[in-house]
Amino acid sequence: MMIDYTKIMKTSFNILLVIILAVFVAGCLESKKTQESIEPINLVKMDGQGAVQRLGTGEIAGFIYWEPYPSTAITKGYGKPLLYSGDIWKEHPCCVIAYNYNWRKNTRNADDILKRVALMQLRSVEYINKAKNSGSPDHEELINFSMEFGGLSDRQTANMSINDVEFVYRNDIPKETTFIERIQDFGIFDPGKWNQSGYKNASDYANSLVTNQYVEWALANKDANLKDVALKEPVTIRYGYLVNDIHELPFYVAWRKGWYSDVGINITLAEGAPFQNGAFEMQKGFKSGTVDIGSLGIPPVIIHRINSNDFSKDDARVGVIAGMNDEGSVIVVANNISSLKDLGGKAVGYPGPGTIQHVLFLMAADKEGLKVSY
Amino acid sequence: MKSNSPGRVLFINVVSLISFLILWHALVILARNDIFNIPFMRLRDVPTPIETWYALTGALFTQTHGPGLTYGIVDHTEASLLRVIQGGIVAFVVGVPVGIGVGYSKLIGNILNPIIEIIRNMPPMAWIPLAIFILVTGGSIFIVFIGMVFPIILNTIHGVKSTDPRLIDAAKTLGASGSKIVTMVVIPSALPSIIAGLRIGLGVGWMAIVAAEMVIRSPIGLGYFIWNMGDLGRYAEMVAGMIVIGVIGYIMNISILLLQKRFVKWVD
Amino acid sequence: MGRLVLHDVSKNFNGFLAVDRLNFEVANGEFVCLLGPSGCGKTTILRLVAGLDTPSAGEIFLDGKKITGVNKECGFVFQEYALFPWRTVRENIEFGPQAKGMPKDELGKISQRYIDLVGLRGFENHYPRDLSGGMKQRVGIARAYANNPKLLLMDEPFGALDAQTRNLMQGELLRIWENEHISALFVTHSVEEAVYLADRVIVMSARPGTVKEVFNISLPRPRVRTSPEANIFRDSILKSLGAEITRAAAIK
Repeated sequence: MMIDYTKIMKTSFNILLVIILAVFVAGCLESKKTQESIEPINLVKMDGQGAVQRLGTGEIAGFIYWEPYPSTAITKGYGKPLLYSGDIWKEHPCCVIAYNYNWRKNTRNADDILKRVALMQLRSVEYINKAKNSGSPDHEELINFSMEFGGLSDRQTANMSINDVEFVYRNDIPKETTFIERIQDFGIFDPGKWNQSGYKNASDYANSLVTNQYVEWALANKDANLKDVALKEPVTIRYGYLVNDIHELPFYVAWRKGWYSDVGINITLAEGAPFQNGAFEMQKGFKSGTVDIGSLGIPPVIIHRINSNDFSKDDARVGVIAGMNDEGSVIVVANNISSLKDLGGKAVGYPGPGTIQHVLFLMAADKEGLKVSY
Repeated sequence: MKSNSPGRVLFINVVSLISFLILWHALVILARNDIFNIPFMRLRDVPTPIETWYALTGALFTQTHGPGLTYGIVDHTEASLLRVIQGGIVAFVVGVPVGIGVGYSKLIGNILNPIIEIIRNMPPMAWIPLAIFILVTGGSIFIVFIGMVFPIILNTIHGVKSTDPRLIDAAKTLGASGSKIVTMVVIPSALPSIIAGLRIGLGVGWMAIVAAEMVIRSPIGLGYFIWNMGDLGRYAEMVAGMIVIGVIGYIMNISILLLQKRFVKWVD
Repeated sequence: MGRLVLHDVSKNFNGFLAVDRLNFEVANGEFVCLLGPSGCGKTTILRLVAGLDTPSAGEIFLDGKKITGVNKECGFVFQEYALFPWRTVRENIEFGPQAKGMPKDELGKISQRYIDLVGLRGFENHYPRDLSGGMKQRVGIARAYANNPKLLLMDEPFGALDAQTRNLMQGELLRIWENEHISALFVTHSVEEAVYLADRVIVMSARPGTVKEVFNISLPRPRVRTSPEANIFRDSILKSLGAEITRAAAIK
């Protein structure tokens, strides 16, 4: 067969031209779409490491995530902190410890177990708060723990991360009520499911969700020798937590230091743990009955106890026994961004809809009168 | 009534569809009342057809709640379709000339065949990580392109190769030269095959875009929507989104068939 | 114009000799039928003349010009019509002039002329699939004529038609041919068809094909198929051909 090479050259040139044209037209259509009205900030779900990387490549203009991802991005020079979550809402509750309601119903000494879990939290928080101080003899150990748990390779990032988080053990029912109200405002509840739940209002819901009795027991036994308060028969708990989340460092500290074993609780990793985000832990963990006790953000608890619950079974019912931390999330942005308004029309990474970072970002945008698409 | 009369066909279709909805509804209700459940499935969490319908109508248009702006299914559909069209245009513009070249010229065929044979066996989903890590933008459009271009290339090659050699002889004796044979004989003869390739490609592209949107996170798109709704525990909206994906795919298929009827009148 | 000369033409397909040192001529304006047992290389000869194949030895001249490459001055009519299914009757007829870059208004004039000539008025916008066999071959003939050829090559053009349509089309072909008067080389199986149509009938030998005998059909047109003179020609051609058919069977 005869081949006319000049013809092929000409044809391929034309094809190239058409491709460029097509891409150009497509690009125009796309940009026209985003230019209408005041541009909303586009929240885009991604995992934490992905968010750090993409901020580095400039694919996203910023992200909101739990520590250690903000500190990692900042240390690498990929971006700068725009807002600490404490700037959005001072001392807001973040992660909590929750139990599976069906597990508690079927476990004879569940209350005794939960009391000791609360005690673990109290001890860990006191340990961490002391060891945070660089002069403390435990400081090195704490940094090592956070590097292990956060999947970190440098001490500076680990130190920065733990200093952004306020570790707590108390519940704050008024603030959790506020969270419920904001989640209602933001239209995240499934209205049909909310009606099925039978809760009169946010405060009613918060009071049914959160119990202080275990923390009170822990406070009363604050200084007890752990062996003295150990369970008579050791039990095994399937525990769920979030991947690399520095917020949940107190759990890791108590586990690593062997305190759980001391009180007779044998911790095993729940199926699917560590979870990608709280929404996953609620739906794949608690609801499936594979998590007995776990730590996660309070908003996923609030949302999925309603949205994902089958009210004839109450399979996604959980109770909150103790706080885990306050604050500890950061909006990190590219270096050319100086305000939340600058993020308009741009992509911002987050752990997913229904996470605390989602709700916090909506609150921050609300203050500035900005719109957020998700 | 004859078994293939249009009225009867329509009747059977409607009855079948209604039966499916009833079966769906019954399975969910039975599971919710603990009467029957398929093992290892939480059927009671599946929304009923009615719940799905309400979720669909409720989520059609963009809503704002305070600062939150949730795009409607209409916007998500538009975004996904736009990506499929963009990827599809590029796939068509690349695939048809490549297919003609490979089908018509032995040399081009020998050069490109080994490459095509290897790459076409990589499913479009296998390209997603590459699209994420290598491409700064347009990852999902790229996945659509990958999904669409090979059906188009292969069908074009098939169409070109099955051009009746007598027609090429006839064209030669009528004075057509090399390029005229391609434009006046090979391409028209391959056109039904090319359109078939476009139809298969669109099907693959549509599946690919939904998968790509679930992994390559963009703020808008049907794949993104159903995943988002799942994350929020809004299963009715999630299922409504799935149904929309199916219906849109069906409509695209039908449109291409109509297009074929309109532009390829000479085949039965 | 339209004088065809074959000089010592041979064609070898992978060591298999199809045509052996063939010599004959088609005079300007002459209608020649090639007759021979199947497999004697009749179609090969047409393809060689059209330039779709090249001879292994020997030369072919059309009006003194040696044929190399596709011969664009021949109109080829195929047995299976070979119409372009995506083109209407009119568009099929316009194919040749269009491929040569003729402007659109002239195309219309030419196609109209040949549509009228072959009697397809009213069917201009039909696609080939909507036509009967006879009508398809009318389009085939018109398409060949529309390209303004010097020589018409026809490869059993009526082979696929029923007997009645065949007779009708033979009459039509002669009518058209007398109108345009272009040299024609017509391949057929049918002695009756050859005697009815041709000025000269070339009987070919069995494989490898050579010229066995040439008959001048000196009958005036219009001819009567059953006239005693026609019968005499038929008898002598059949006799000549019969021996070759027996030989061809023996070769197989």
